[in-house]
Amino acid sequence: MKKERLIKEINSGIERIMAEGADFCDARYYTEDSSETLTLYDGNLESNETTFESGLGVRVLYKGAWGFAASSREVAPAVTFKNAFSNAKTASRLVTVPLKMDLNPPVRGKYFSPVVEDPLNIPLEAKLAFLEDLDKKLQGTHIEHRIIEINLQRMHNFYWNSEGSFIERKLINCFAGSTVMALDSDGKMQMRSKVLHTPGHGTRGWEMVTKPELWSGRAEGIKEELARLLEAPELDFGKRSVILLPGQGMLQVHETIGHPLELDRILGYELSYAGGSFVRLESIGQLRYGSEKLNVSAYGSIANSPGSFGFDDEGTPERDYLLIDKGILVNCLTSRAMISEVNQVAGRQVFDQSGGASRSTAFYRAPIDRMTNVSILPGNDGNLDRIISATEDGLVLDNPKSWSIGSNREHFHFSCEIAWEVKDGRITRVLKNPTYQGHTLEFYANLNAVGDSSTWVVEQVPNCGKGEPNQLMEIGHGVPVLRFENVITGERV
Amino acid sequence: MLDQKIPDTIIKVRDSAAKKGVKALFRMHREKSHLIRIGNNSVSLNTSEDLTRLDVEVIDGRREGSCTLLGDLEGPGIIENALQVAVTKAAVATPKVYEPIERVIENEIEEENQFDQAIEELDSGLKVDTYSAIMKSVGEDYNYSGSWSSGSTEIFLSGTANDKFAWRIGTDQQFNSVLKHPEEKWELADFQSGWQVGDVTAEATVEKYLDLIEVFKKPGIRVEPGRYTVLFGAQALAEILQMLIWTGLHGRHHEEKIGWMSEKKAGDTILSDKITIIDDPANLHTFSFGFDLNGLSRHTFPFIEEGVLKNLFYDLDTAGKYGKKPTPHSGSLSAVMRAGEGLTNPFEAARNMGRVLYIPALHYINIPNMSKGLFTGSSRFSAILLEDGEAAGPIFSTRITDTFQNVFSNVEILSRANLSANVSNTYGRRMPEAFAVPSYMISNEVKITDSAESFQ
Ligand SMILES: [Zn+2]
Repeated sequence: MKKERLIKEINSGIERIMAEGADFCDARYYTEDSSETLTLYDGNLESNETTFESGLGVRVLYKGAWGFAASSREVAPAVTFKNAFSNAKTASRLVTVPLKMDLNPPVRGKYFSPVVEDPLNIPLEAKLAFLEDLDKKLQGTHIEHRIIEINLQRMHNFYWNSEGSFIERKLINCFAGSTVMALDSDGKMQMRSKVLHTPGHGTRGWEMVTKPELWSGRAEGIKEELARLLEAPELDFGKRSVILLPGQGMLQVHETIGHPLELDRILGYELSYAGGSFVRLESIGQLRYGSEKLNVSAYGSIANSPGSFGFDDEGTPERDYLLIDKGILVNCLTSRAMISEVNQVAGRQVFDQSGGASRSTAFYRAPIDRMTNVSILPGNDGNLDRIISATEDGLVLDNPKSWSIGSNREHFHFSCEIAWEVKDGRITRVLKNPTYQGHTLEFYANLNAVGDSSTWVVEQVPNCGKGEPNQLMEIGHGVPVLRFENVITGERV
Repeated sequence: MLDQKIPDTIIKVRDSAAKKGVKALFRMHREKSHLIRIGNNSVSLNTSEDLTRLDVEVIDGRREGSCTLLGDLEGPGIIENALQVAVTKAAVATPKVYEPIERVIENEIEEENQFDQAIEELDSGLKVDTYSAIMKSVGEDYNYSGSWSSGSTEIFLSGTANDKFAWRIGTDQQFNSVLKHPEEKWELADFQSGWQVGDVTAEATVEKYLDLIEVFKKPGIRVEPGRYTVLFGAQALAEILQMLIWTGLHGRHHEEKIGWMSEKKAGDTILSDKITIIDDPANLHTFSFGFDLNGLSRHTFPFIEEGVLKNLFYDLDTAGKYGKKPTPHSGSLSAVMRAGEGLTNPFEAARNMGRVLYIPALHYINIPNMSKGLFTGSSRFSAILLEDGEAAGPIFSTRITDTFQNVFSNVEILSRANLSANVSNTYGRRMPEAFAVPSYMISNEVKITDSAESFQ
């Protein structure tokens, strides 16, 4: 179908649905949602895949209930509108608190990710040559397996709603990671990896992937650290301080600050899948989430991040605001209907505007409350060396191996790739199989050092899972080096 | 059901590719999916999706390339273009050090034995009525959530290796319901699965809720870390089993010594002799696929028999790399864990066993150490402390961190009843998967490593 005709059909679809009594309607048309995945496993190209998606998703609010429909068939926009409306009408039969979108002025705008070299336009030969070169660097007599994976994404979509909004976006993401593995002195597999991070500024095309300081330059480092892990003793059970490098701090903030602050979770809309949140509505503005050193922002003006997208999937411009201010919870990750429900139920204005966190993974999924760039702001406890030198008995931890979190995010258990033991201000040795666990509020109350901006990087998350039908989302986390005291580490015997 | 246009075009493109000597497999996937979501006693989302995908996988000597399209496949030249993308990618790919295994459709097959047109066309009003009935019957003072996914999946495979094709259309549904006490914060859940209308009923959920609510009126109990006898419910068992299979029985994890069974070989005793795990696509508690996504014919395939390791599963890459035969396990697995001799009622089975933790489902299972077989996850729904089979009260959020070897070696009792546990997810494309598992398993000396002071 010609683009002009499709646009006409979408506009007339929205008009028709509204004329028939809908409260709100929006449509997202993706002309392109492409990605390329290349995986070199022990030098063998196990994935050499390009995917290309396109289609239309329509969301209708009718008498306080959402209906959604999507189709990949271009001939069917009118059918998709009809199905979404019919779904909303059926949904409206069972409503206790009617959802509202509170009329907003139309938003018109464009957002294009800052990019010099579109990663999907780089010849495949050049991308493979880069990966093969990195693969050579990962080889070594002690290395048994090497895995390099990149996932490059390009999305071009258009958004319309019944308020007259119209937004065009082109988003580019580049994710990359490399891992080396070998058997340790007990015959068990150890691994060390490095994931592509961003400096937070600059551009995020192929030029970012090839910058050695962001990814590939760590090849020698992870090989050496793996060699030390192979001979390392196991971490024993006990309480000590933990110093999280950004590779691990990213997971900590993601699972125990980001997810519990999603407003739909707090309200109970995720109970049947992802779970709830220990945070209650009364907590906002009141709850001491952590020590005074804890400052968390939802966006943080990060130009170069997968969590920066210009406008969310219901047309709200992305915003920069604090979630936690000197340890006190002050805001959440929000969307229009969720804040409206909170304000209705509370009978006062708990939230004055949407946080612009309503995001969808694809044209065929309805948007839900999501993380954007949930970031811990840099502190003033100096660089990593200074934090280590001020630590009596602790561990420096990097990169997650596993994560398991209580259903309301009240407690967690994480395992990491590597630990460096710290005794009396100095690193003494490497320890293998590190794990730590904690209870969220108690853990953040024990945050007693936050690294300065020299330790702060933006880690990229390509695959945050949430929602039903399930959705994977791309997220950024700006994280400095963090130290927590009195943490349970290792496994009980 | 799909009109014949797309398969006809695929066959045309396939024939012309074969003439040019191109080695390709075409996999069409069409889903008509519907999902209703309940939150705060309301429908929070009612969604339907009509999506058609095509995967094309090309082998060019030792090089491979692939392309997936999700879009309007009926447009002119679209399928041909997808083939061209995969051919072009393969032409410049890094060659593998081993010979890639060509995807060959073993047997021509057409399947629709788990297809119910009424599920494909299910009126979402029926789902609304079912959740309404649960709320009315159990009490509207509680907070209810849930999701009910239903739909059809149609798969068509054809490749240049021969003229055969494989086709399957099936329906499936996955239902869950969560009841939460608004003040006390405890949660009950129920799970149902099936492929035809009538497989999911309000009555089944209501009955379970009413039984459990009485127990949950008692004060919550904190379980201190230590070793306990644990009664795993079917959903918990299926979720652990899924992890056990992935970490222990994957040929890649075994060959590369990544998994916890990597030092074992076929014939070694690895778990309790009560444990038999097979892949049985004929088992009707599972979603029955006669072929896998690479065209291999599926058949009964023993993994573990009476605690003894029999076979591992091999994907195409691992099989090619290590000179093994690929096994038909790409796609939906029909894992069956054989039932035992325990009484059908789990609480009666736990009589005379002293303190037993009843954990029907686990939240967020993960693998801190795959080499050691260590998994962790926490109790959430409907978890109870039993004293000699009597419910002493609900337990607060409690974490298990233990090894598969320990939990599946210290098995005391397996239920004599087998249930269907749906383990599908709805990420990406629709691919139903269900396991047949005993309705419960009681294991001794299971390690509890943490607990909260509330249900939160
Ligand atoms: Zn996440």
